[in-house]
Amino acid sequence: MTWTRRAGELAVGLLPIVLLLGLWQGLVFLKYAPPTLLPGPVTVFSRFFSLLGDPQFLQHGATTSFRLFSGFALAVAVGVGLGILAVGNRVVAAILRPLIRVLAPVPKIALYPAFILTLGFDHSSKIALVFVDAVFPILLATYQGALSVEPKLVWSARAAGVSQTRALFTIVLMAALPSILTGCRIGLVIACIVVFLSEMINSTDGLGYLLVRAARNFQTVDMFVPIISISILGLILNAAFNALRARLLVGYPEDN
Amino acid sequence: MKRIADIPGFPPLMACIGLLVFWDLVARYLAISGLPPAWDALKEVPVILADPEQLLNILSSIRRMVIGFFAALVFAIPVGLLMGRSRAVAAFFNPLLMTIYPVPKAALMPIIMLWLGVGDVSKILVIFLGVSLPVIYHSYQGARAVEQKMLWSAAAMGMGAPARLLRIVLPAALPEIMVGCRTGLVLALITMVTSEMIARQSGVGNILFNSLDLAQYGLVYATILIIGVMGFVLDVLFEKLREAVAGWAQPVHQIAVGSA
Amino acid sequence: MADSNPVIDIESLSKTFGTRRGTSHLAIADISLKVGDGEFVSILGPSGCGKSTLLYIVGGFEAPSTGAVLVDGKPVAGPGPDRGPVFQEFALFPWKTVLGNVMYGLLEQGVDRGQATDRARELLAMVHLSAYGNFYPKELSGGMKQRVAIARTLAYRPKILLMDEPFGALDAHTRTRLQNDLLDIWERDRKTVMFVTHSVEEAVFLSDRVAVMTRSPGRIKEIIPIDLPRPRKRAELLVNRRYQDYVVEIERLMELPPEEAQAS
Repeated sequence: MTWTRRAGELAVGLLPIVLLLGLWQGLVFLKYAPPTLLPGPVTVFSRFFSLLGDPQFLQHGATTSFRLFSGFALAVAVGVGLGILAVGNRVVAAILRPLIRVLAPVPKIALYPAFILTLGFDHSSKIALVFVDAVFPILLATYQGALSVEPKLVWSARAAGVSQTRALFTIVLMAALPSILTGCRIGLVIACIVVFLSEMINSTDGLGYLLVRAARNFQTVDMFVPIISISILGLILNAAFNALRARLLVGYPEDN
Repeated sequence: MKRIADIPGFPPLMACIGLLVFWDLVARYLAISGLPPAWDALKEVPVILADPEQLLNILSSIRRMVIGFFAALVFAIPVGLLMGRSRAVAAFFNPLLMTIYPVPKAALMPIIMLWLGVGDVSKILVIFLGVSLPVIYHSYQGARAVEQKMLWSAAAMGMGAPARLLRIVLPAALPEIMVGCRTGLVLALITMVTSEMIARQSGVGNILFNSLDLAQYGLVYATILIIGVMGFVLDVLFEKLREAVAGWAQPVHQIAVGSA
Repeated sequence: MADSNPVIDIESLSKTFGTRRGTSHLAIADISLKVGDGEFVSILGPSGCGKSTLLYIVGGFEAPSTGAVLVDGKPVAGPGPDRGPVFQEFALFPWKTVLGNVMYGLLEQGVDRGQATDRARELLAMVHLSAYGNFYPKELSGGMKQRVAIARTLAYRPKILLMDEPFGALDAHTRTRLQNDLLDIWERDRKTVMFVTHSVEEAVFLSDRVAVMTRSPGRIKEIIPIDLPRPRKRAELLVNRRYQDYVVEIERLMELPPEEAQAS
């Protein structure tokens, strides 16, 4: 694809975003929408950027990030570990497969009240919810990726004197890495969304709580800011993850 | 020789029973506060389902979910197919979709409620938004993968562009579209429950937090069970439908995962 | 030589696979073969005759249904560094560089990094890839990939090379070059080689003995000693009458209708 064509497509792609923002601003500017119901994008974004210097707002952001990353890290550790183990061990696979079949399509958010009851209102219940929501895509991607690893890669390692277990957690893990990273990226975005929702439903701090607080006080501008914050956080994490993925997968064939 | 584990449905059934037994034992022997034994929760399930008011609540939840889901299909499948067959359309929509991908759709509930009130419209709109994205994405991927030569032969037979999209691209992309629908269906349920938990007006999500506030823990867990079963049953039913509609394609072993 | 003190002793080996329909499929039946020290033996047969399965069992990657494989008198219980495999699919680790692939076995066996690097560079020179140490496998052609795979296996000094149609995925020209290179390497340290192929010319050109297999189930039909002078030069052999006779004889053996046609 030529450079000009790429630039042209980018311009076409920006069009609907610009149009949408323009329509939004226009509605407000022409007084079709009262600012109490729909504040303009300029108002919302300038509010967002001014809050980036507000330590209290940043504290809420940090709380959300802490829950997000704790839950996600736990999900990666358990999801990847179990997924790899299930490929190496028939018993683990026999137990895990039906469990995944039953639990994967269940709306995990419904477990939130149970987590609140057993783990309390603080961090743990939110981290637990992020974990159960993010772990399934990671576990599934790991298991499916590891299942389709060329067995001769493992044989090559085994012939060099590497034990079955070591081959599983070095060769199979590395060979399944493209699939694992895809699962992790899906899990990361899900984690982002879920942590916010959990804070909206039941919390006294975090970005989600800020949205609910603003809604209670009918501060419309402040309702938009947390949503924009979490979405930008999601976009940044997604981009960062793609960059990391490109670095990790240097030697792998393109097609995946 | 057929082993017992090969009977379809047997392993998942065992998994369910295993989970319930595990829960029951943990609750009884570790005595965690806030975790009643599984049996106590199970006893509450018929109580909820026999209460006409609660049942109406649940049914109206399902009704909203179904409307939102099908509205999303009607909108998302054509958009996805057009994106897959036209570079310009894809270039137009892709950045927008990428930008709204990490937005928590259910979190828009308070704002949408501000505009459209607390009624059905708001909830259906949120479900519609949640379902649209994965369905567009998978329809797009499915349409993109349709072999060009198949379209050439159709064009050579004198088929016009709209007919090609309807009679060649749609069936060829159907297996992938079904994957999108399956994810979308799970997402519809998730978005429904989440939006009800946030709006706290009616529906299954509301029962959850009402009973939590009233400290009726058995009821909380019974509702969780009901929602869980709904998720699983919807997924199984959809898998059956997929087999009937697109069974000729490679079986998709993907299990639906998603989040609002 | 083969019978006196065999390095590989395959004793009435059979392998049955379960199929999805619940029936079982006999892949290889009652195979016995002894391979002597430093001997180059080819297993030749049509596709689906189970020749690769035989090799995998010797490698310890798959277990036999009945019978046993003894290597140096000890029964094979699993893979080990005394038997180095080379696969048609190359099976290089895509996340490691060429040098990293060749060093892999040594590092896993506890050789220190400096020594391993030296040894790996030596082997890369031997397979004419000195300049490619920092490349990733995906940047190499098929022939180069197979050279790396051979170097990776030779690095940990296996006593036996198990080669599973190693040149089957390569074009004719590359294939000939690698055959010559393999013979050069073999002449240097005379490892014991079991070489699986479906090419008659390849088997005759490389081997001391050729075991011809039939399919469904795979059995050894005949073992033909190849009495041609070494070191062998391809150009000389092609006009050698005895070479031509061997090729024709084995082609005939393989042409004969199978004892019974079976759906596999």
